[in-house]
Amino acid sequence: QSTFTSPMRITTSSQSGAGRGGLPGGQGDRVLDDDGSDVTPQPLSQADPSGAHQAKGDRFFVEDITGGSASEQATAAGSFTMPFSRYMCIFANNVLNQSNIRLSKHQPYDRHEHMKRDTVEEEVTEEMLKEVIDVYISETDSVSLLDIPSTVMSVDTDESEAIIERNRQYAEVCRNRMGNDKYMERSMQTLSGAAKDKHVQSDAVVMVNTATSASTWDIYDALCSPVPQKTNYPEATQSMICIISLSLSPATAVSSLKEVDVFGSTSGAESDLQLIMQSETFQNCLLVMEKSILGNTFQPDLAAYRQLPVLEDPDFPVRQRKEETESGGPPALQRLWAFNCELNRGRSVRSMAWNKKNTDLLAVGYGENDSGDLTPGLVCCWSLKNPTWPERVLHCDSAVTSLDFSANNPSRLAVGMLNGNIAIYDVQGREQNSHVVSSSECLKKHLGPVWQLRYNQQGLIAVFVCRIMIQMIKNKAYCYHVTIQTSCASSVTDVMKLKRIHNTKKKARGNNTEKTGSVLTAMTPGLCFDFYPTDPSVYLVGTQEGLIHSCSSSNNQHFLDTFRKHFCAVNCVAWCPLSPDVFLSCSSDWTIQLWKLDQLNPVLGFTSIQRAVCDIKWSPKWATIFGAVNEGQLEIWDLNSSFLDPVAVQPAAPGVTMKSLLFTSRADCVLVGDSDGQVTVYRLKNLRVGESSQVRL
Amino acid sequence: MAEVEETLKRIQSQKGVQGIIIVNSEGIPVKTTLDNSSTVHYAGLIHQLVMKARSTVRDIDPQNDLTFLRVRSKKNEIMIAPDKDYFLIVIQNPSD
Repeated sequence: QSTFTSPMRITTSSQSGAGRGGLPGGQGDRVLDDDGSDVTPQPLSQADPSGAHQAKGDRFFVEDITGGSASEQATAAGSFTMPFSRYMCIFANNVLNQSNIRLSKHQPYDRHEHMKRDTVEEEVTEEMLKEVIDVYISETDSVSLLDIPSTVMSVDTDESEAIIERNRQYAEVCRNRMGNDKYMERSMQTLSGAAKDKHVQSDAVVMVNTATSASTWDIYDALCSPVPQKTNYPEATQSMICIISLSLSPATAVSSLKEVDVFGSTSGAESDLQLIMQSETFQNCLLVMEKSILGNTFQPDLAAYRQLPVLEDPDFPVRQRKEETESGGPPALQRLWAFNCELNRGRSVRSMAWNKKNTDLLAVGYGENDSGDLTPGLVCCWSLKNPTWPERVLHCDSAVTSLDFSANNPSRLAVGMLNGNIAIYDVQGREQNSHVVSSSECLKKHLGPVWQLRYNQQGLIAVFVCRIMIQMIKNKAYCYHVTIQTSCASSVTDVMKLKRIHNTKKKARGNNTEKTGSVLTAMTPGLCFDFYPTDPSVYLVGTQEGLIHSCSSSNNQHFLDTFRKHFCAVNCVAWCPLSPDVFLSCSSDWTIQLWKLDQLNPVLGFTSIQRAVCDIKWSPKWATIFGAVNEGQLEIWDLNSSFLDPVAVQPAAPGVTMKSLLFTSRADCVLVGDSDGQVTVYRLKNLRVGESSQVRL
Repeated sequence: MAEVEETLKRIQSQKGVQGIIIVNSEGIPVKTTLDNSSTVHYAGLIHQLVMKARSTVRDIDPQNDLTFLRVRSKKNEIMIAPDKDYFLIVIQNPSD
């Protein structure tokens, strides 16, 4: 680009006076360098050279500029200033054109020819370029484009006094204006300029409708839960439309946290099923559902169990009407239902126990099956709410002979087995076989079956174990009174105290002192025991020989008393819970004996049929009623009504022998376990029980 | 998982049970023992009923929630166990 510092000669041909543009290049003006190169500033607009032949003043003017400066330098220099210069030139053109039209309209053609001649001359003589040309620079006239006179003036100027005077006069005029008759208000109409339309266009704003009904719980959820996920609004329009069209989806009731997507794909449903099936809440839910279904099925039986009036179904005529004989009729046993499932079919029920805390939970221990082979034992925990499937199933190493729930830890179940092992299970967890302690690794383990197991008040287990006379060498049979301290952490119990009680053979005179340390004393195994209700340190032991001893745990050398009457094994002894000092014993010699603690001979004896009596229990509610199970039938005896016959008899199903018995504490029902694995629940009806707990003999 | 299957089979074999439907949270039945049209019918209608019931319970006390719903009708009983991920619907006729 050429700068203007070098001396230049500018030939100006200023033809018209005022109105000449302030541009250094007027009409036909050219600026030449020292070297004679043309450095005429380019016009701001590069008009089309092809339009030069139009006879218009403005066009002609532009044409002159471009025609005159046909140098390489000019075109190259203006390459990027061209747009700018074009704009400026247009503006300048507007001003100039008007003046040109006014002033030089009358000479359009002469200019053109003149310029043409100039260019022709230029091209012909090159020597002229080397001439020294004088350039005379003169200012063009100033054109004022904007003249706003200032309204402020310095006080020091000459005219300031006049201005001040004029100001003062004006202020006075203004002050006098108010209320002066010289001045009158008049309205004027001002012209409003023509309005110009302007259009603006933008992208359409996407509007989305959302709605929700905020219910009380919706607000609560939003407060309590973590930040909800944002829904995608652009896609929401699509799904919104779809939601409205389908009446299924609850558009307004859905909480703001959930996204409702009605179009679930099939693959999504499949994986959903897997997720659902594996979730734990689903399992619980299934169990609850099962119990509800069974509640419907067993509703009359369960209501009878709980001594509730049976509800009549209004849509179905009642079939139970014939059984509604509350008054009148002999005492009878009504069969309600049986706990039975395929797991325990064929196994004989050896022992049953209620849970101390939840009296609807029953633990049943199953022993060997009918063929007598020692299959691994089974313990099932049944709930009253589901008689078709046990709540917990525990598999044991060997046949179960006895079990008991703990009173201090209501979820602990102690199980004694045929091979002498004792295991304590925790039935609260769902995982199977979670036994807390087991005595199978214990050093001094007993080799005989654990005939009976009982928790006493201190939380210890008193285990009654009998050692089968297998070791003929020693010729001894021990009755172990073992106290086991259970500890949760360790899995092996330490047998803390092992008291060995030597049981002497029955002497003819009833002398019941034993000889300690006598090798040749024959011992008899003990089969059952029971703690004295008021003093837990005293207990009764029934032996296989038919003797019943009362012992004290503080004295392990001597028996307190011996009761002789039975001549076969004593199967069970039971203290009466409501009447002190009275207990019952039953034995395989077909008899049941009633004793008082201070008499060595039985007070009463009962026999009914000539079968071994397996189990006997007092009723927890009535002092004079007890139940006995012999192999053929279940008998309920009432001491108030008859000593000779039971008041109610329920024969066993054919081919099945009844094995064990349990009363329920609150209801008047009896559970009977039999050799087929069923535990049947019977209800005692129409027992006319007296209030007295004493029986006159 | 096998336990769940077993429990489902036991429920299916109980007395009077006419059908079991498991519906996922979107109202689509994922497992059923009834025919397709009944399943879809039940699923759609019961979904709305459970929503209404749950809304009612929670409106009264927002800390409460619906755990079980039983609808006893002349011919049968519909038992619904709702959860936030699924519904379990069992139809039983107890006097069968």
